[in-house]
Amino acid sequence: MLDQLITGFGMAFRVDTFVMMSAGLFSGMLVGALPGFTTLLAMAILLPISFFLDPIVGIPFLLGVYKGGIFGGSIPAILVSMPGTGAAVATSRDGYKLTQQGKSRKALDMALCSSVFGDTCSDIFTMLMIFPIAYLVMQFGPPELFAVLFLSLVIIAATSGRSPLKSLVMLILGLWLSFVGTDPLGGVERFTFGLFDLKSGIPLLPMLIGVFAIPEIVTVVMKSEKVQKLTSVVGERLTFAEFRQSFKTICRSTVIGTGIGIVPGLGQVVAAMMGYSAAKNASSHPETFGEGELEGIAAAEAANNAVNGPTMVPLLTLGIPGDNVTAILLGAFVAQGLRPGPELFETQGATVFAILVAMVFANLLFLVIGYLSIPFFSKLVKIKVSVLVPIVIMFAFAGVYVFRSDSFDLIMLVGFGVFGLIARSGKFDVMPMVMGFILGTPLEYAFGQTVAMGNGSTMQFLFEERLGAVTVLLMIPVIGFMLWRRMRKIPSL
Amino acid sequence: MSHFRLSPEKAIPLVLLAMSILALVFMGQLVAAPKVLMGRSLTAIEPSLFPKLMIASLAVLSALVLLMSFIEKKTTAEITAEASAEEGPTDWNGIRRAVLLFAFMLFFALTMKPFGFLISASISMLAISVLVGNRSVLQISLLVTLAPAMLYLAATRILAVSLPELNFIELFYAQTLGI
Repeated sequence: MLDQLITGFGMAFRVDTFVMMSAGLFSGMLVGALPGFTTLLAMAILLPISFFLDPIVGIPFLLGVYKGGIFGGSIPAILVSMPGTGAAVATSRDGYKLTQQGKSRKALDMALCSSVFGDTCSDIFTMLMIFPIAYLVMQFGPPELFAVLFLSLVIIAATSGRSPLKSLVMLILGLWLSFVGTDPLGGVERFTFGLFDLKSGIPLLPMLIGVFAIPEIVTVVMKSEKVQKLTSVVGERLTFAEFRQSFKTICRSTVIGTGIGIVPGLGQVVAAMMGYSAAKNASSHPETFGEGELEGIAAAEAANNAVNGPTMVPLLTLGIPGDNVTAILLGAFVAQGLRPGPELFETQGATVFAILVAMVFANLLFLVIGYLSIPFFSKLVKIKVSVLVPIVIMFAFAGVYVFRSDSFDLIMLVGFGVFGLIARSGKFDVMPMVMGFILGTPLEYAFGQTVAMGNGSTMQFLFEERLGAVTVLLMIPVIGFMLWRRMRKIPSL
Repeated sequence: MSHFRLSPEKAIPLVLLAMSILALVFMGQLVAAPKVLMGRSLTAIEPSLFPKLMIASLAVLSALVLLMSFIEKKTTAEITAEASAEEGPTDWNGIRRAVLLFAFMLFFALTMKPFGFLISASISMLAISVLVGNRSVLQISLLVTLAPAMLYLAATRILAVSLPELNFIELFYAQTLGI
């Protein structure tokens, strides 16, 4: 492992990696700073660019978009109380109040510094933890893998959206979509309706861009007349003393965000709300929270950015994306020929380490680019929606087409876009569907292998030889129920 | 008296329920028979076993969601909010824009190959930009000429990937730029 670490360090320090990472950070902040445009949209649209770059350049580019986008979302949240993402809702509570008090620069600086601190600490934690966890996962057989994948899906369903039943419906719909194409065990055709284009299954990219990006664009278009104008960045900059005063809160939120990041399905929104609530509860002056408290911004931003690194742990070790943004990252890994899972560390350990090293150093770039460009990003609203929307759509279509050079994928993109919008209007979260689609094939494969290992008496085999997997499977309803109850207590966003 | 209203919240599980029942009934036609060698199946499980389990679960869960949407107890605030949403003015202008946007996107998808990327992107961008409210002739002209050309050149010359294009345009670029 030490060899891989040293090789990974060497591989990460490439000029093109840092240039593209900076471009990713800039693009992420740019899109995140546009009211109504989100990190998810930026990731989905820019994903195809990563396909044509070296893995050590392409993946850090997307990680840059991810990090930059999360921070970028806090700019409209602070300046006009218009959070681009759910993760920035908690930030907008105090951020906008500070803007009204003429302290928007201070608020933005605090958001940047706490974001970078939370992100860096959680990335270092990820680097330290990922290889021991991968080693543990390498000991898994098909029954254990099936149990863990199944558990992850239940956790995702229990924690996404307000209704676990609806999430389960979407999850199984995603599994169904993963059946389209060729059976992973027997190689026979399923649900293709004789269409040649469906023989290799539904491609991931049109689905990702269709259900995540297209509904966001359509929502912007539907409300295009209601876009607000940003105010300018004013007031003094953040002082070191103010940062030090909030340091304890930042550390607490970093720990909360890191813990939440490891669990698939929870994500930044939960982390931000929990970090904010914990800071308010621990504060000697809780009444100031929501009235323009710098600590409130620090708590929310450190927590939601601390999620970024640890979401890579289930993604890289088990191939389980923690949220919709990591689902897009998974698409990037797969397109680069790096199939996340335990074997990735055996075959491409140095590349994984190089990506993780780049992820840590991206935070330094993040601090510099963010600090210098806050005034620029705050003026982005001057770019008209009527100019941005056509360009974003053109990028989406070109990106989908170049991956397989197949027009059928463009039709699917529009189809998934329509479905995403209908699902959104029916309050059905599409995230579990995408997770079900991604994990459907490995889940079925592990299921088939487990049945084959049982050789006709699967239950007897499991109870006699694979008690670990049985324990995990038996715990699933209990864990699912507990998480669902816990999620219901989190204030509505 | 409350009347039945087919909202997306009810329509989605209803459609999924119907689809899953149909899939279960016609599973034999939707999934090919397993490969057999000398009378023995080559796989441990039937190719339709896992789909059957999942689709049956989907049918049950969709029915449950549908049932819940009818019998769900709502708080007074929720009922008031829902009533005001139902009685409030529907944003027909927004819906019209969404439908038109999807129509333009479908046009883009269907014409990208026969018309080539540049022509189909220019027409679609022109329509979308006007739909979203742009009335500046200069801005629209710059947008529909420069943006597709720049993306086309970046994709084909820098990233070295192919975008569909008509032969004479390809030739024009090759001769003009010498690449």
